[in-house]
Amino acid sequence: MLFFLIGEALRDLRRGGRVAVSAVLLITLSLTALGAFWVLSLNLGHALVQWRDRFRVVVYLREEPPAGQVEGLLKKIEGVGGIQRLRYVSKSQALQALRRQIGGQASVVAELPTNPLPASVEVTPAAPAMTPEGTRALIQRLSALAEVEEVQGGTAWVEWLAQLKGLLQGIGLALGAVLALAAILTATTATTLVLHARREEMEIMRLVGASEMVIRLPLLLQGLIQGFVGAAMAVGGLYLTYRLALPTLEPLLSFTLGLPRAAFFAPAEIALLLGGGGLLGALGGLMAKGERPA
Amino acid sequence: MIQLQGVSKVYRVGQVKVTALAEVSFEIVKGEFTVLAGPSGSGKTTLLRLLYRDEVPTEGEIRVAGFDVTGMRRSRIPHLRRAVGVVFQDAKLLPGRNVYDNVAFVLRVLGTPRREITPRVMQTLKAVGLSAKAQALPAQLSQGEQQRAALARALVKEPALLLADEPTGNLDEAMAEEILYLLSDIWNRGTTILLATHRATLADQLKRRTLVLNGGRLLKDED
Repeated sequence: MLFFLIGEALRDLRRGGRVAVSAVLLITLSLTALGAFWVLSLNLGHALVQWRDRFRVVVYLREEPPAGQVEGLLKKIEGVGGIQRLRYVSKSQALQALRRQIGGQASVVAELPTNPLPASVEVTPAAPAMTPEGTRALIQRLSALAEVEEVQGGTAWVEWLAQLKGLLQGIGLALGAVLALAAILTATTATTLVLHARREEMEIMRLVGASEMVIRLPLLLQGLIQGFVGAAMAVGGLYLTYRLALPTLEPLLSFTLGLPRAAFFAPAEIALLLGGGGLLGALGGLMAKGERPA
Repeated sequence: MIQLQGVSKVYRVGQVKVTALAEVSFEIVKGEFTVLAGPSGSGKTTLLRLLYRDEVPTEGEIRVAGFDVTGMRRSRIPHLRRAVGVVFQDAKLLPGRNVYDNVAFVLRVLGTPRREITPRVMQTLKAVGLSAKAQALPAQLSQGEQQRAALARALVKEPALLLADEPTGNLDEAMAEEILYLLSDIWNRGTTILLATHRATLADQLKRRTLVLNGGRLLKDED
């Protein structure tokens, strides 16, 4: 029976002709759009996690404390609350770090008459303070300390990145939804045409006692196959683009977002896209209107 | 096999009521060969359609092959139709499939195991004398052969009852006789047959119980 139903569905697909092909292409297009925005937001999401993890507030001190008072100062800073961990950076450590950063031009540092860099404390905020408001409040509390000259740091751009990710997800979903609707309607039209072409067969099927499930199942399968093929083409197309763009994309991502490599969908996400495609097609098959029995 | 009690069928065309059948009652027992005779428009086709639940009676009760057709739920209709074979004046063969596939189609949609399909189809085609035409498309068959293929399609599922609606209507005398001979052969193997025809001569020729319909009323029931 299953072979018969699949055979009928494939026969119906051939009957659907150009409209069936259009339905497959529209499903491909809608899932490609959705998938492309999904991959972008996936990578932005990874960057966000990484950058949130690396985020620091730097507290510049008025004067470098004597070695014996550093621990006391750190405890005082920790006392303002909202801090996950902190690290003291002395004037000489700051200078060494500068030397490392400027590399080849490190000789310039040697020509300085005195060390101009201030001692500082690198503060990693606790998770609840990782919002623009939380960080602003933390900076205010730190600035109020007598030993503090200046406090730098903010999550504004990290939040901007988060907003961009949300925007990409929103655009992807909206565009995907519009195209998905078009895909469902096209799949419905393709199935309705097939229903019309199959009128005689369905009449015979009903006459000999086939159940409505057997009569309708090939239509559902037809939609499902269309959706699945469309989704597979979308995933294949996205993967091909990903592989081709990877050599250009990775240095760019590394430079702008600090991501070591561009991510593609995990197997579960690919399965979700394929399932989504199948669902779109099946919905089209289900929504097709044909003649009902007496 | 068939019981009708006070069956009426009234169609509404706008404000006008058209009575297709009026208080028809009769019974056909298992193994009978009955002719339903009457001129065109007398209600023969309507009566047959009521029997395989293509139509619902306006009044009365119908039982077919043990099924209460009158109060039947939609989901039960396929069960009734599996017990009833139907052939029409027009053979209604699927044009894109050959004779074998037209007949096998029935078994496939009914979920018959694959290994059983070919022997049953070939046996049925042999019974109607179409074994040699199994691979022919409907367009390559004569009208008589098309009607025999339609009979094979109705019989392959081994129904207890065969309803034949003017199966000789499009055929010349010789071909019509061939079909009647075939129907008698099928009846001899135990299938109950109800044959609707407008040809009075055909009913006489068969010498079987004849129900005569006219204007939707059962006028005669004679052996």
